Amino acid sequence: MLTINGLYAGYGKVEVLHGISLEVPKGKVVTLIGSNGAGKTTTMRAICGMIKPKSGDVQLNGKNVAGLDSHRIARAGLAHSPEGRRVFSTMSVRDNLTLGAFPRFTGARPKGDIKADLEKSLELFPRLKERQDQLAGTLSGGEQQMLAMARALMMNPDVILLDEPSMGLAPILVEEVFRIILRLKAEGITMLLVEQFAAAALNVADYGYVMENGRISLHGAADKLKNDPAVNEAYLGGANKH
Amino acid sequence: MDIFLQLTFSGIALGMIYAVIAFGYQLTFATSGTLNFGQGEALMLGALVGLSLAGNVMGGPYINYWLMIPLVMLFGALHGVVVERIGVQPSVKTKNEFGWIMSTIALAIIFKNVAENIWGKDDITFPSPVSTAPFEIFGARVQIMQVIVVVGALAIMLAVEMFNRKSIYGKAVVATANDSDAAGLMGINTAQVVTFSYALSSATAAFAGVLVAPLTLTGSTMGTALGLKAFAVAIIGGLTSGVGAIVGGLILGIAETLTGYYISTGYKEVPGLLLLLLVLAIKPSGLFGKTTIKKV
Repeated sequence: MLTINGLYAGYGKVEVLHGISLEVPKGKVVTLIGSNGAGKTTTMRAICGMIKPKSGDVQLNGKNVAGLDSHRIARAGLAHSPEGRRVFSTMSVRDNLTLGAFPRFTGARPKGDIKADLEKSLELFPRLKERQDQLAGTLSGGEQQMLAMARALMMNPDVILLDEPSMGLAPILVEEVFRIILRLKAEGITMLLVEQFAAAALNVADYGYVMENGRISLHGAADKLKNDPAVNEAYLGGANKH
Repeated sequence: MDIFLQLTFSGIALGMIYAVIAFGYQLTFATSGTLNFGQGEALMLGALVGLSLAGNVMGGPYINYWLMIPLVMLFGALHGVVVERIGVQPSVKTKNEFGWIMSTIALAIIFKNVAENIWGKDDITFPSPVSTAPFEIFGARVQIMQVIVVVGALAIMLAVEMFNRKSIYGKAVVATANDSDAAGLMGINTAQVVTFSYALSSATAAFAGVLVAPLTLTGSTMGTALGLKAFAVAIIGGLTSGVGAIVGGLILGIAETLTGYYISTGYKEVPGLLLLLLVLAIKPSGLFGKTTIKKV
């Protein structure tokens, strides 16, 4: 579904990613974990076109989309719930969701039943349903995160990138976010999840990649990584020792 | 009292023209953080093209005033696209933060000179599409064209607002204004949205031009002062608020006509500009401007 091969990218003259390769198969949840500054968010930005990769392939459905503008990559079937949520704060929750389906309105993606999908996503996120006419800027951090995820779903994408969905949220909301990710997984939605909560991410994922200083240092089935002593020590706080 | 009312009515008509031009500044500022400082020239070109189509210059009139309006707006839109492509896009692409200021001013001067060469240096009367005989409201004499200016100005702003709120393309414009990067992630071609906002901005200015032309004289110099004062209006009202543009426009328009009569025409621009200084000192985001709060 999504295959990244030898991706080099950075900001200005500073190279952050030194050849990232990873694969997100259809219907699977893949997680990218690593410490602060490892390059996780940069990887996401390079995949979705927010920054242009210096070299490397980003294959989406067998088509190389590396270097295209972000709107083209989105239309090719990639939705992104970005770090920091980035909801449209002066617009209502409903309008935010509607905009998630923008490529479906313009015919760039199969239309389907947009209205039904909107109702469905409000059912999936009951907190948003209560606040559907409120301006997105007035939502709490957790609600904005739900909105960012629901908005990404509205595209009916082939792959969803979730960048730090738990960032800055209260523990109870973090749990809710991961519950929702599990539900989406059960529906067969393909996801690439970037997380600092490595343990939680590996619990919901099928496969994991560990990033260090702009490189993939380790990868394997999520269960295996969870029990890997090195991963355990570095990213899981040794929690599994007990 | 009658004369006061009459001056107020004139001020309202003038103020609504300022409001439409100020609204045009807001449109491009919202989507791109840039402005076309040649907004007044967009108005002037609109008025002169309208004159050539519906007036008795260049062998005209070719079509009637009302049919001319959509054509002039189309011309305005094309003009906006040219300004954006030549003056703004290159500067934004090269991350030259202020290049667009000089380039839009430069284009404005060029358009003014071109207009001078085509239509001459002298001001021309724009034939009024309606009777110029005034009618009386509460003892004040009002021209039908003044009423049309107010209604037309409100209508165009309302139409843009409705488009932004109701249509998916309008929502894409608002989304781009909110967060351009995030809008790109939704599959919105934000570069196209910016070009579109320039087209819309110049189209509204051209529309304002053909509205105001029958009340004033038409000529290559008509836009400069209007554009500048409308910029003051946009700052007074706030660069992010449509209501601010209207209120700011009315304040400046009425202040001008009253000062012009009661004090001296030489001082008519002073109160509005004093207000501008006052607003900048006290509330720099404008009377209705919002200071954005960002959650982190």
